[in-house]
Amino acid sequence: MTTDKLDAPATSRTNWTSRIDLPVATAFGCIILLLLVGSLYSPNFLSPEYLLQQLKVGAFLGVIATGMMLVILLGQIDLSVPWAVTLGAMMASAATAYGPMGEVFAIPFGVLCGVLMGLVNGIGVAYLRIPSMIITLAVNAVAQGLMVAYTGGFAPQDSASPAMRYLAAGTILGVPNAVIVWAITGAVAVFLLGRTTFGRAIYGIGNKEAAAYLSGVPTQRVVMIAFALCGGLAAFGGVLLAGYAGKAAQSMGDAYLLPAIAAVVLGGTSILGGRGNYLGTVAGVILITLLQSILSVMQIAEFGRQIIYGAVIIVMLLLYGRERTGR
Amino acid sequence: MVDAVPLFRMEGMSKRYGGVQALDKADLIVRSGKVHAILGENGAGKSTLIKIMSGVVAPDEGRMLLDGQEVSFASPAAANVAGIVCIFQELSLIPDLSVADNIVISNPPTWLGMIDRKAQHAIAMEALQRAGGADIHPMELVKNLPLSRRQIVEIAKALARKPRVLILDEATSALTAADVETVFGVLKRLRSEGIALLYISHRMHEIAELADDCTVFRNGRRIATYPAGSKTGDEVVELMIGREYSSVFPPKLDTVHRSATPVLEARDLHWMQRLNGISLTARAGEVVGLGGLDGQGQRELLLALFGVLRGVSGAVLVDGVQRVINGPRTAKAPDIGMALIPEDRKTEGLMLPMSVRDNLSFAAMSQISRGGIIDRRAESAAIDRMIKLLAIKMASPAAAVGSLSGGNQQKVVIAKWLMVGPRIILLNDPTRGIDVGTKQEIYALLRKLAAEGAAIILYSTDYDELIGCCDRVLVLYDGAIKRELVGPDITEHALIASALNIDHKEAVA
Repeated sequence: MTTDKLDAPATSRTNWTSRIDLPVATAFGCIILLLLVGSLYSPNFLSPEYLLQQLKVGAFLGVIATGMMLVILLGQIDLSVPWAVTLGAMMASAATAYGPMGEVFAIPFGVLCGVLMGLVNGIGVAYLRIPSMIITLAVNAVAQGLMVAYTGGFAPQDSASPAMRYLAAGTILGVPNAVIVWAITGAVAVFLLGRTTFGRAIYGIGNKEAAAYLSGVPTQRVVMIAFALCGGLAAFGGVLLAGYAGKAAQSMGDAYLLPAIAAVVLGGTSILGGRGNYLGTVAGVILITLLQSILSVMQIAEFGRQIIYGAVIIVMLLLYGRERTGR
Repeated sequence: MVDAVPLFRMEGMSKRYGGVQALDKADLIVRSGKVHAILGENGAGKSTLIKIMSGVVAPDEGRMLLDGQEVSFASPAAANVAGIVCIFQELSLIPDLSVADNIVISNPPTWLGMIDRKAQHAIAMEALQRAGGADIHPMELVKNLPLSRRQIVEIAKALARKPRVLILDEATSALTAADVETVFGVLKRLRSEGIALLYISHRMHEIAELADDCTVFRNGRRIATYPAGSKTGDEVVELMIGREYSSVFPPKLDTVHRSATPVLEARDLHWMQRLNGISLTARAGEVVGLGGLDGQGQRELLLALFGVLRGVSGAVLVDGVQRVINGPRTAKAPDIGMALIPEDRKTEGLMLPMSVRDNLSFAAMSQISRGGIIDRRAESAAIDRMIKLLAIKMASPAAAVGSLSGGNQQKVVIAKWLMVGPRIILLNDPTRGIDVGTKQEIYALLRKLAAEGAAIILYSTDYDELIGCCDRVLVLYDGAIKRELVGPDITEHALIASALNIDHKEAVA
């Protein structure tokens, strides 16, 4: 029959895409390429110590990018990440100053503050229908103002709790705890995206919000929760960073906005939403971390680093864009 | 009759997509001043044929002759210059631009490098006039026009390019009966002006009215060409589907539960100025049709019942109990059990890049998950059942739903809702632009669901469908029910007459 014949290209196409997810493969290919280039410069680049160190540095970005991925899959964006990170770090450190009880609740309190900030974003986007680019930018500014008011514009005196330090800087059997935390975060994200109704709803909304709504998905609630999770994960990343550095600092999250978005998109998640898998984001995070590390090891001046870093992201996005239209 | 050099001719045309031979040494002769209908199931090669003609895709082999000269088109623009213009099935208008902007979009008149608004206005006016849309204002934004008027604009846009061969691919599938009349008048005039028209449609009676010649395609080959009117409908359908053709519509067994409380009852629904006091009932086992011209409130009625519209007044009763349905989520809950097969499968029904599996289970999440975690075994079982029930043809459930043919996509939309196990099924023009074979399967399915006790409300722009499928038809006019037709009273004459609101006979109780 006609229809049987018609379906044949679908067969070849699906098998082809399911066997090699091109952006993910490309990202991993680039990682290997970077390592090879680095190893020409110094053999240290292939040593297990160096690689583990990179994973540890990448873990903070990995946690933050996980939340960003949820929001990007919806076809939205969260530009409030910088001060959600800082907010988490500062609030957790602040709680630590309140004696033993404060120390116990430092991490949950920091994360909770991020969740609340994300909730404001989510309510704005889902219920008030404000474009995410605007509301998250505004919330970022408000959070920045609040934190500056709280600290007086100086680096806060409070330091991280022992638990924060342990999570961020400790090791178990030689594996940095930060890497373990990232792995657990990632495992939960994979489960959430692949095996739960919430995950399906995220992909559905990202693809066609109208169709998802007409299918009876509580689209507004899903969007709100995704933003809350993104805020919470950013704040959690901040908590870890504070633990790593020993204390929170002004603007410590500023360096994470572009890398978080870039990691997600370099990993093959469509910036328009609806498509992407978590493995790609992992690859994107490692790729960006390595790139930053290699550029700094090569002792390229800061301005040069910025140029190369930005150019690499643009080139890779161009490559993906071409590949996608070709499909 | 047979002039020496036909206007356009194609020979030995072949095109492969991956493993599929979309066209297999097809040939076609198009003469000026004739309407040539192309028939065939979805996937028979019609789309590929016209895409090659209009420069959208390049053939693997074969040649095209225009006025006896061999031609090849590198792009649609090149085909346009040569005088071959195609109106595709999917509307290509930009909603946020004005009608005039859209009509001249590919080649706007300019003055010193700027768009000459006056000339543009004049071109648009003339094109609209020729397309039978003189009542459309050129400065109106396309998004403010109803679907049927947009189609007229689409035709005007094609005419502004001065075509010698005009291809219409399912160009009437969005039109109401009245608009189809207008368009046919236009097409007949174009024919008399010597334009060759290639007409692709699934609506048999349109072809019978309009075509001079018919060509049937199947499996990428030209099966037959014959003068219009020389074959019976059944013969044509047999040529198209290549199998014995029984009746398109299944027998209407009386499955209506008359004594029981209606499953669904609406009382005096009002919404904006679009619904003006609609009351209706639907019983278990009954297929209730919504008829009338396009845009008389049928769509709004279905959306209102499904709880999508805000600010609807009136009452909706389910099983005789008044319910507040404030959204799809409430509507699909088991105690109401309502499903809506939306109008536009590409934007409202499906997520095209996602897999058949994900699309199918999307509405039935609560049935296949526990505590928010998907039970994969239950999901696979339910999906397999649906794929079998509707005979959905695809590579695998992991294939993107966008890679399926239109008919199979529509089956996925329906299957997705059947997975919820609905008792009340609302369908918004579910067979638009799909092939005869699939239509037939959908009709059979609707009767089967009714026999199993579902209450079905079917809105269709195709009168044959209302006649063939429904136990009762409510004809809407201006947001109100003008007439109710029952059983044998459902005839094309009665439907059209009451749709135009020219028959003032009392409504049958």
